[in-house]
This record gives sequence, structure tokens and C-alpha cells, in this order.
Amino acid sequence: MAFLVAHFTQIVFYVLALLAVLGGIGVVTFKNPVHSALSLLGTFLMVAGLFVLRHAEFLAAVQVLVYAGGIMVLFLFVIMLVNVKKLQPEAVFLSAQAPMAVLAGVLVGALVAFGLLAGKLAAAGGVPAALQTVDGKVLGNTEAVGWLLYRQYLVPFEVVSVVLLVAMVGAIVFGLKSASLDRGEGRAER
Amino acid sequence: MSLSDFIPFVPEIFLAAAGLGILLAGITLGKKGVRTLIGSGVAALIVTAVLVWVFGRPQGGPQVILGGMLVLDNLAVFFKLIMIAASIIALIMSAGFLERSPYGGGEYTSLVLFATVGMMVMASGANLASLYVGLELMALSVYILVGYFKLEVKSNEAAVKYFVLGALSSGILVYGISLVYGTLGTLDLRGIHQALAGMAKLNWAAGLGIVLVGFGMLFKVAIVPFHVWTPDAYEGAPTPVTAFISVGPKAAAFAMFLRIFLGAFEPNIAAWRTVMWVAAAATMIFANTAALTQNNVKRMLAYSSIAHAGYALMGIVAGTAMGLWSVMLYMLIYTFMNLGAFGFVILLESRGYAGETIQDYAGLAKRHPAAAAGMLVFMLGLAGIPPTAGFMGKLYVFAAAVQAGYVGLTVIAVVMSAVSLFYYFRIVVQMYLHDGEEDEPAELIRDRWVEAMIFVCVAATLFIGVYPGPMVGWARAGISALGLG
Amino acid sequence: MQIPHLLTIVTIGPAVAAGVLGLIPGRYERLHRWLALLASVVLFVVSLFLWTGFNPDVAGFQLVDGPIAWIPQLGINYTLGMDGISLLLVLLTTLLIPVVILASWTSISERVKGFHISLLLLTTGMIGAFLALDLFLFYVFWELMLIPMYFIIGIWGGARRIYAAVKFFIYTMVGSVFMLVAILYLGFFHHQLTGVWSFAYADFLKTAPQLAMGSSILHSPQLLVFLAFALAFAIKVPMFPFHTWLPDAHVEAPTGGSIILAGVLLKLGTYGFLRFNRALFPAAWEACVPLILILAVIGILYGAWVAMVQPDMKKLVAYSSVSHLGFVMLGLAAGTIASTQGAVLQMVNHGLSTGALFLLVGVIYERRHTRLIADYGGIAKVVPIYTGLFLLVTLSSIGLPGLNGFVGEFLILAGSWEKYPAVVVLGALGIIFGAVYMLWMVQRVFWSPFAHEENRDLKDINLREVLAVLPLLVFIVWIGVHPTTFLSPMEAAVRLLLAR
Repeated sequence: MAFLVAHFTQIVFYVLALLAVLGGIGVVTFKNPVHSALSLLGTFLMVAGLFVLRHAEFLAAVQVLVYAGGIMVLFLFVIMLVNVKKLQPEAVFLSAQAPMAVLAGVLVGALVAFGLLAGKLAAAGGVPAALQTVDGKVLGNTEAVGWLLYRQYLVPFEVVSVVLLVAMVGAIVFGLKSASLDRGEGRAER
Repeated sequence: MSLSDFIPFVPEIFLAAAGLGILLAGITLGKKGVRTLIGSGVAALIVTAVLVWVFGRPQGGPQVILGGMLVLDNLAVFFKLIMIAASIIALIMSAGFLERSPYGGGEYTSLVLFATVGMMVMASGANLASLYVGLELMALSVYILVGYFKLEVKSNEAAVKYFVLGALSSGILVYGISLVYGTLGTLDLRGIHQALAGMAKLNWAAGLGIVLVGFGMLFKVAIVPFHVWTPDAYEGAPTPVTAFISVGPKAAAFAMFLRIFLGAFEPNIAAWRTVMWVAAAATMIFANTAALTQNNVKRMLAYSSIAHAGYALMGIVAGTAMGLWSVMLYMLIYTFMNLGAFGFVILLESRGYAGETIQDYAGLAKRHPAAAAGMLVFMLGLAGIPPTAGFMGKLYVFAAAVQAGYVGLTVIAVVMSAVSLFYYFRIVVQMYLHDGEEDEPAELIRDRWVEAMIFVCVAATLFIGVYPGPMVGWARAGISALGLG
Repeated sequence: MQIPHLLTIVTIGPAVAAGVLGLIPGRYERLHRWLALLASVVLFVVSLFLWTGFNPDVAGFQLVDGPIAWIPQLGINYTLGMDGISLLLVLLTTLLIPVVILASWTSISERVKGFHISLLLLTTGMIGAFLALDLFLFYVFWELMLIPMYFIIGIWGGARRIYAAVKFFIYTMVGSVFMLVAILYLGFFHHQLTGVWSFAYADFLKTAPQLAMGSSILHSPQLLVFLAFALAFAIKVPMFPFHTWLPDAHVEAPTGGSIILAGVLLKLGTYGFLRFNRALFPAAWEACVPLILILAVIGILYGAWVAMVQPDMKKLVAYSSVSHLGFVMLGLAAGTIASTQGAVLQMVNHGLSTGALFLLVGVIYERRHTRLIADYGGIAKVVPIYTGLFLLVTLSSIGLPGLNGFVGEFLILAGSWEKYPAVVVLGALGIIFGAVYMLWMVQRVFWSPFAHEENRDLKDINLREVLAVLPLLVFIVWIGVHPTTFLSPMEAAVRLLLAR
């Protein structure tokens, strides 16, 4: 019992991490897309839990609101709308490469595990100061994120906004029906 | 942070705004406006180049600006101008190509501009966060451009492959960055340099971070064994896009590579150098061998670009000041040669994907002597034969490697450049020594703009080849940036 | 009279002429021919000023142009200079170019513009390689020769031209890439010793001999660098066993290409051995002399034997080149003043005689479109002038006293006698074989019973062709009668080179 109390954070971390990974595996192994989507939802929530564990309450809330709330609903909506029941059997592809993929995955996993076990991460435990204070002022987590995002990390933040714009453009480019191409003179030669 | 702090960032802001404007204009102009849109895109890029020259140059030494996210130095100016030049040439080459296709020009042009913004951020990033978002902006725009001809199955396939593998590599890169942050507590390149220099023994987790960041970067510059996406993406993409992605993003990725590895991770050079040595050797050997058997010119040029990344990597292996500026020079030279070669492929694609097999080049020298002579220059240049610029590029990289004591690697590189002659000369043999079949010879498209761009590339290839002094001087000005001078 | 920058003018002039030709549309074929001929004759006349401006008493490099900083970051300069050895070879080159153009007057009928541009660019490469005093510059000129020659064989050659062109290209390229690494290594070594980057020949003369000679090949950088250079030059010479590209290249190349190939390109190999391998790496040279001697003798005998059984005249001449250049290598390897002088003179002789032979074979090939000895026979009566010229050139090639070949071969063998008598005996056998196969060919072609009616109305050699071959004959006789004209300018240079 004393062990549980002493290592409560670690235990919760490993439980959440394990569930997140299981959720991720579920996403790619479930045959029914609705199940996959729900599995992804589980992963998102576990990650939100990990953020809470690291005192990043704002990120946790964003994770739940945006990913679990907004994006997942959109996913499910699309799945229901286009009525994908199950992936067809022939859609199981790359089967010949599967053993190699497993081997490569295990090797990389071993490498990462070794690196992390043998190495030491900075500032283990405690509350990361940057998530609470900026310029020495004690603020809440939300304010701290805001300060960082709009001051020090303004440039990446702005660039990310362009990235999102490009993503939208891409969605439109690919989503536009082919019939709407060729407006104007229509000099298609291909 | 005040408004005046943004003045050095004006070129990027302007270019992004221009991209937005062209995006909107594309909706109203429709298909008819391809030339107008591309013309305004080119104009915007030229203005951006001027703005970079006016506002983007450092006063005195390197200046860190905007909260430590970006740095103003000669390295950044050098790469930004290369990228802008690459974008301008690629855009002009696209005009006729797009007009002949059923696709609009607004999204196309704006995506090229956005990609250029991303590349410029990559060139001047001083922080892993800004470098990474610049990379993503560039990469996402390019994925869309590769799949832009969505009615072509090849284009779709290329885009999907490129996207999936690109996303995977970005994931690896971010994971590496997170480990570096987790162990060293900073994303700032100088901060990382200091932290690593202060470490008596490299922390395993930090080492793993360096390895993963390295994998991500090798992926982006297409180094064996992380190159598999390249041939498919290059072959499937619309040819002007292939021309663009083979130079601009590659130069940007090398700029980022230089900043991270010769800047931030420089204290641990002994640890990662051997890996890079092996990767460079494997790349040169594999890519040059694989290119020998390609019958599709775009695929062949894809393997050739992988091989060139291998040569350039030698400069990073050398890790000296000369290694740094030789890579910069190499990227400059390679940009012009490769764009020119792809421009020639564009001219040959009069019948859909015709003109992509080597046999389509048979007898071209007889029917189009000037164009064939241009292609000859690019093939000689890519193979590294004097007096073209390609020779100078290789010379400096090789000299840097020899100076750093890597004679073995240089021997491999030189032998493999000799091997590369065979596949470049397969095209020359077809053009000059074979007579085309008489019934239906592949014809060149008459496209003044593409021809003009090819001429520019020929002129640059020959000029730098005969008189490399000024360009070398310019590239050398960049070395003070990383404190290697 | 002293013309400033004379060496640069002679080197770059042909390239400028090529540029001018490039601006003229290809349909004016006659204009291209005449302009190219004019340019090459002017070049020859200008190059005579090299002779008048040359002081034979000075051993070092003369008329030096430069150094002009070219790639200052690596200490690479544009420096041209000339000593007695390069003087002769440059004059040989400028003499042969108008000959080649005249010889190709009617045989090159397609893409005339391209041919002359290639030829003139090739000329710049050859002259530049003879004159370059910076190893890097030398390499650039060396590579510059590759592409035009490749095109000359590959575009205007015979039926198997592509095979021959690619083979030529592969062999040459394999040699030159190792040379590039070796040059870079020398520059790096110089940098290490002195702290300054330089690729100047004069600097390498000081530092390159300091490269270590170890107990085994892998432990002696000097030997490795020496071998890298030697490979490039041995392929070019070509020395046995690197000669297999030569017969193909010669047989497939057009007449003009064969003349230039035999006349000048092969000389760059022997020149390279003398100028770089001999002077820069004395210890490694010393160690390799036995090997070079053995290969030279094998080349002499093997080339002669194979030539003897050739049914094709051009192939016969090609194999005779292997044999003749074996003599040159023998003379260089023996390393006495006389043998080296003989070797240099023999380079010139071979260029004249073999060039003339290729030219004459080309003349008859143009008429009958066959080079097989069996297709001729007894044609001496039909083409008397041609026969006379052919006989003269043949006699020069086999070393008849009074003609040029004798002087060179005699000097080589006499100079080598004191050091390597056994080798001289074997080499002398080669001379006998040479006389056998050449005379046997002449006998079969010109005097054996008249066998083919098609040869009845064979036209004799015309004025243009005589004009092409005449300059070569003049020098063939001149060298034979009064060799001192050509031996004295190079004596000081050879002495200096051997003194190192």
C-alpha cells in the first residue's frame, strides 16, 4: 500500500500510457471503422490524462475539447454518412511485408526502450516551471501557455496557422469534383 | 517584442500574404488566368528576394530575432535566395504545363509560395520548434502539389506514398526533438549546443534523440536507406513539381540539416559522424547503381538526386568550415543543373507522359541541336565533368572530405561519379548517337518561357563552372553563422 | 617578336573559333569547313611563334602565362608554361589539326558543324593539357578532351561506333577519376606540409617526392598516388594490358578521328608519364621501372604479332601503334638522356607517321568503302602517286635510315643499351616484326596479282588529299635528315627532368 502511495503518479502514468498504446493498436486492427474510431477516442482521452499528470491542464482540456470532442465527432459523422460497414478482406495489404514490419518495429522499440532506460530525462517529477510562470510572474497554466504561445513562440504559431490554411487548400484541391475542373477554355490534352 | 522586431520577417509575411491573394484571385480568374496567376506569383517571389536582400540581411554578425525563433545570418540569406530562385524557375516552367492540363493555377501558385515560406523559415530557424513548423509547412504544400494532377493515377499514388512516408518521418523527427527537449530542457539550437558541450558523457536519451532527429533529416533529404519515397514521388508528380521538389525542399532540408547537426549537435560530431559516413557511402553506391537500370528519365533523375544528396552529405561528414560552405555551394549548383534537366523533360512531354523513357530522346540532337546541347550541359554537370559547375560542386565537397581525412569516402564518391556518367550518358547517347525512329519521333514543345529558363540554367551551370570564385566567396560568408569559421 | 599571352592564345584560340562556328547555322556546311580550316591554319602559324620565342638554352618553363588566381580558396591558379618537350608536342598538335580538317573534307558529310566544333574544342583540351602548369588545370583540360573525342567516334564513326565510343569513354574515365583523387590528395599533402593550398606543378615538384614510401603498397602513399596517375596514363598510351579499347576506337573512328587519336591523344599518356610520374614520384618510379619495362616489351612484341595477322588495314595500323608506343615507354623507363630524348622524338614521329598512315588508309577507304587487305591487290599501277606516298610513310614507320622513325628508335635503343641490354634485344625484335607486317601489307595491297576488277578505275589521290598529307611528309623527311632541329630544343628540358 505504501508502495502504491509513494509511486502513485508513476503507476497512473504507466496505466494511462499502456491504455493509450492499446487504443492505438485497436485503431489499426479493428475491422469495423466505428470501433476503430472509438478506439482512437480512447487514446485521445488517455493522452489527455497524461497531460493532467504533467500539470498541463490547459492542454488536457484542449485535447478533450478539440480532439475527443470535435474531431472524433467529425470522424464518426463521416463514417456513418458514407456508411462504411467493414473493410473488405482484400484491403488487407502488404501482407508479405508484415513479418519485416514486425521485426523492424520490435528493433526500433528495443532501441527506444534501451535509450530511455539507459538515459536520464531532465527535471523528473515536480511541476515544470514554464507551465505555470513566465518571466517570473506566477500565472495559471492557461495564461502561461498563452504568454508563451503569443510571445516567444509567436513565429511558429503563425506559421502553423499557414500550415492549417494549406491543409484546407489541399482538402479543397482533392475534394473538388473532377467535373468542376476544366472550367474556362478546357484545353485538356491529357 | 515590438512591431519593429518584425521587420526582418517582412519577406516571409509578404510572401504568405501574396499567396493568400493569389489563392483568392485564382477563384475569380479560373482556368483562363493561369498565366496571370503564375506571373503574379513570380512577381511576388522577385519582390520577396529584394525584401530578403533589403531587410533580411544581418547587420554585423548573426542576429537572433523574434524570441529566439529565427536567426539572421548569411547562411539564411544564401539559402533563401537559392530557394526563391528555384521557386521562380519552377513556377515559370509550370505555366505552359498547367495551361495544357485541365487544372487551375490559383491553388498551384499559392501552394508554391507557401512552400517557399516554409523553406525560408527552415533556412533561418534558430529553434527546433520554428524549424519543425517550417518543415511541415513546406512538406504539406509539397504533398498537395505532388498530387495536384488528381486525374492521373500516378500522381495520386505518388502523393499518397510521399505523404505517408513523409508523415512517418516527421513523427520520427518530432519524437527525436521531444527527447532532446526532455533531456536538455531547451529547443534553442545554441542552448542545445551549450548543453551538449557541457556534458562530459553523452546521455543515452539525448543520444537517442540525436539519432532520431538524424533519421528524420536523412529521410527529408532522401538518403539511403530512407530514400524509398523519392523515385515514386518524382515519377508520379507533374514534372514541374518534380523539378521544384528536387531542388527547393532539398536545399531547405540541407539548410536545416546544417543548422541542427553542424550547429546544435556539433559537440557530439564524433558520435554521429560515422553513421553519416556509412549513410553517405551507401547512398552514393546504391543510388548510382540503381539509376543505371532506369528506363524512365524522371525515375533516373530521382535516383540521381538521391546520389547528389549523398555527395552533399560528405560535406557534413567532414564537419569543417569548408564542409559547411561546400554543401551550400553544392546546393546552389545542383539547383540550377537539376532544374534545367527537368525543364528539358517538360519540353519533351508533348504527348502526356511520352518523353519520359530514354528511347524518346533518340536523335534529338539532329532535330533540336540547341536544346540537346543544353541537356548535354546538364548531364555533364550532374556527372561532374569540367568545365561545368557540377565539377566545381563536387570538387569542393571532395576537397573538404579529403581535408578532414576521409580519403576512403572520397574514393567511393569519385568512383561512383564515374559510374553515374553511364546513366547520364545513356541520354546523351540517345540524343547524339542514335537516329530516332522516323515514324513518330517525340517532338519538343515550343515553350519560350521554359526555353528561357533552361538557358538561364545553362548559363549558370557554365559560368559557375568556369569562374566559381564569387559564388564560393558568397558561400564562405555563411560559415560565420555557425561559428565554424 | 614576342606576343603577350601567346600560350593562352594558342590554347583558347580553338575554343573561341568553336564558339564562332557555333553561332553560324549548320546548313552552311562549306562555310564551316573553310572557317575551321582557316582557324586551324592560323593556329599553326601562330604556334610557330612559340618556336621563335623559345630559348633552347633555358631548361625550365618559358613564356609562362599566369599565375592568375582561378579558385583562390584552394590555391588553384591558371598557369600555362612551355618547355622543349611540350613545345614539340604542341607544334605536332597544331600541325595535325589542318591535316585532319582536310582529310575529313568529303568523308564527313553529316553534321559538319558539330564535327568541326568538336575538333576545335578537342584541340583546346589537348594543347591545354600539354601546357598546363597547375595539376588541377591539367585535369580540367584532360577531361575536356574526353567529350569531343567521344562524339567524334560515336557520331561520325563506323558501324559499331557506339560500342567503340562507350568503351573509349569507360576506359578513359576509369583512369581519370583515380587521377583526380590523387591530385586532390597531393594538394592536401602540400597543404599539410606547408599550410598553404596549392596545385602548382612547381610546388608539387618540391612536396610530392616527400610522400612516404612504405614497405607494402598500402603503406606507401607515394606508390598509391603514383599508380593512380599511372593508371590514367597507361590507359591513354595505351600500355599492355590496358590497350583493348584502342583497336575498337581506331577502327570505328572516322579518318580524322583516328589521326588525332593516334597523333596526339596517345601522346598525352606518355607525356603524362614523363611530366608527372617521372618527375613527381622519383622513388615510386624507381620501384616501378622493371614493371614498366616488362609491359613495354610485351606491348612491342604483342602489338607487332597481332598486327601481323590483321586482315583490316586500319586495325593493323592500330595494333602497330601499341607496338610503337611500347618503344616510347621503353625509352622513358630506361631513363637515360638519349633514350628519353628518343622517346620524346618518337612521340612526334609516331604522330606524323601513323597519322599519315591513317590518312592514306582513309583515302582509299573513301573510294572503295573497304579496308580489307584482301579486297585490294596489285593496285600500284592504278594509283601510282598514292602508292608512292604510302610506301614512303610505311618506310618512315618501320624506321628506314634517313626517315624520322629511324632516329627515334635508334636513340631509344642505343640509350637503353647500357642499362638494359636484354630489353633492347627484345625491342629490336619488335622493329624486325614491324618491318615484316608493314611491308607484307604493302606488298599484298599494291603489288600482289591484280585480283579485283572493281579496283580497275580506282581514282588516284587528289590534290586536296596530297595537300593534307604533304606537311606530314615534309617533317618525316626533315626529322630523318636533320634531327638536331628537333632534338636541341628539348635537350635542356630533358636533362632537367632527369636530374630530379
